[in-house]
Amino acid sequence: MNKNKKGSTKIRLSSSDLSLQIVAIVITVCSLLLILFPFALTISNAMKDNVKIYDVPPKLIPDSAQSLSVAVDYSGFTGTDEELEAQLQDDMVSTMFGVYTVLPRESVFETKFYGTRDGKTIFYSRAHQTQLQLEKDYGIYEGTVLKKQTLLYKDRAQRVSQSLGYEFDPNGLSKHTAITNLEPNAQEKLNTVFEKKFALHGEIAACEMSTHNMLLLESFVHYMKLPNYMYDANARIARFGFMSFVGNTVIVIGWAIICQVFLCSLCGFVISRLLKPKAARITLLVFMGAQMIPFASIMLPQLIMYRNMGAYNNYTALLLPFLYPFGFYIYLFKGFFDRIPGSYFEAARLDGASNFFLYSRICMPLSHPIISLIALQTFLGNWNDFFWAWLVTERQDLWTLNVALYNISNNTSTKQNALMGIALVTILPVIAASLFFSKQLKASIMASGVKG
Amino acid sequence: MSKERKQKQSGYFLKQKLAPWLLLALPLLFTLWLKYYPILKAVFISFFDYDPIHQPGRFVGFENYSTMFHSEYYWQAWRNSFVFLFLQLLMTFFIPIIQALFLNELRRMKSVVSTMYLLPTLIPTTINVIIWRWVWHPDYGVANQIVKLFGGQPQTWLSDPNLVKFCIIFPGVIGGGISVLLYLSAIQNVSPDIMESASLDGCTGWKRIWHITLPNIRYIIFIQLVIAVSSAMQLLDAPYMFASGGPSGSSTTQGIYIYNSFNKDYNYGRGSAASVILMLVVMVMTMIQMHFENAEQE
Repeated sequence: MNKNKKGSTKIRLSSSDLSLQIVAIVITVCSLLLILFPFALTISNAMKDNVKIYDVPPKLIPDSAQSLSVAVDYSGFTGTDEELEAQLQDDMVSTMFGVYTVLPRESVFETKFYGTRDGKTIFYSRAHQTQLQLEKDYGIYEGTVLKKQTLLYKDRAQRVSQSLGYEFDPNGLSKHTAITNLEPNAQEKLNTVFEKKFALHGEIAACEMSTHNMLLLESFVHYMKLPNYMYDANARIARFGFMSFVGNTVIVIGWAIICQVFLCSLCGFVISRLLKPKAARITLLVFMGAQMIPFASIMLPQLIMYRNMGAYNNYTALLLPFLYPFGFYIYLFKGFFDRIPGSYFEAARLDGASNFFLYSRICMPLSHPIISLIALQTFLGNWNDFFWAWLVTERQDLWTLNVALYNISNNTSTKQNALMGIALVTILPVIAASLFFSKQLKASIMASGVKG
Repeated sequence: MSKERKQKQSGYFLKQKLAPWLLLALPLLFTLWLKYYPILKAVFISFFDYDPIHQPGRFVGFENYSTMFHSEYYWQAWRNSFVFLFLQLLMTFFIPIIQALFLNELRRMKSVVSTMYLLPTLIPTTINVIIWRWVWHPDYGVANQIVKLFGGQPQTWLSDPNLVKFCIIFPGVIGGGISVLLYLSAIQNVSPDIMESASLDGCTGWKRIWHITLPNIRYIIFIQLVIAVSSAMQLLDAPYMFASGGPSGSSTTQGIYIYNSFNKDYNYGRGSAASVILMLVVMVMTMIQMHFENAEQE
């Protein structure tokens, strides 16, 4: 039909048609731009540092990321190796957090710290700015004003440097070689840091600053560690972090898909093939009616009921609501099974096949298309689930992605760039998958005909 | 089959009659237990001054309903629901229709564009809220920058009782992808004969859209309208996440009202009464929807 129309419109393209074409293109382009806006905003914010996100007016393109390298010389040092290591740890922490505090607008996304003695490189450490931000917001420096005294108080420098990671060998490191050139521009900036309040034990031997935009992407790796820092009291989250939320979501949606495919296909089979028309209609109505009860109406009695059963704050509470078949999916299955030729069943029945055999060996192997449709529908329908999971979970290691994101976003110390970064990482796989399976996705939506 | 029946009629009869119900037993039981029992329980609780420790508490008859109907807060929640509905119809309902109509006019890239339209619907509400709360931020948000650009006064958006509903509904402007697909498939299903004879009669371009396409998809538009009404009544996640029903109750919907009844006021009876009323309203909406869906099929 489309081809036909194309042919005919080409022959007599009236002015009305032309204006329609132009308007159609303009409207579509505008809608697409509007759709891209939240994505662009998210990406741009996730790539800014936690000072630039507050810039007014907000910029769409984030500033390029700087990498700062500092080499500090300890040639004159006379003491044991342990004392030297402690001094290096102190200086590394002072340098990194000093730059972080005193030069917030320089977009220093990475600090590399080298320690040298007698021409040998004995110490190396690097930290991404987001790592420092996490330590400041939720880690060892949570709630501290960053000054030299607070930075190095008791064993803090040691703990922070171990958390950020470093390499130390008094006989010289083989893997890393310290930088040697002293950029006056970078030195000038560093002097403002060290003169002010973050004095070092050693002497600055070299320093340089360069642009590395890949560091903007590295931020995402560290954003993902935010839950580990934020909920470090919970053993499972401290260990698996963000992946524990992903795991819960996969468990819930996977369980929902398995339940719905099995229960709905079974009910669809019975209703379509075994029941008399009248009984079939009434049974279907019972199932369909259950789905029309709005969630808001039964959330209170459901909560009371589940609590009385002990299904609260555990996986039972999250998974039990999916253990009944959704009426609409039964309806779709029934429609599919109705179209399987009756001769298949009669032949099997003559050979003495049981009902379960008919279901498992005849219906199911034929139903690949409908099963994938139901699985996709279940995913679409429950990917957005929030309120119930939020009502019944207090333990953080039970949170699904939606609950976790809501709670993280409601925490006042969460920075917007980290939040946007986590949000982006959450939706990107789904978006990628939906682009990949766009054909199936659209077929599924059109087949259902009703909003998921 | 008839031979078999004669041989062992009673056993066969039992097997044929009972077997389907045995297979259905578990799903039916779970449906009754997990869905119908709670709603009956809501009706039951609504007649009690419910006490979760000494269940069910004191029987009060219709008192929960009458106090609820006399409370300003309850009617405010209904008013909010209708304002939400009105805003939804005004801002987000017609956009998918327009998008689908014009998408159908495109010569190429139809499939790509419709996939793009679908993308925002895949973003969970939580993430939408994260993004848009930043857009509406009074100090650093994009919204105030745009307002300033046009010389307006900066607003507080989500903290403003008059604007909060607008802020919650507005993100839906780009979230109509599923409806676009449904409309598009309805448009493409309009019989080619009608289109052809219309074009022979000189009904092309804008006239074709107005006189042929739109009247032919009016049923699905109507069904989408009923769905929009019933989903506006059930609105819960988005207003809760954006503003927790505030400021001063101005984004409280029925769902949030029920939630607040039992979670803040610990008044389970009133919460259940509101649940029952909401269910009745949604049931009526659904019946209308089913009636018209059946009419369309015939």
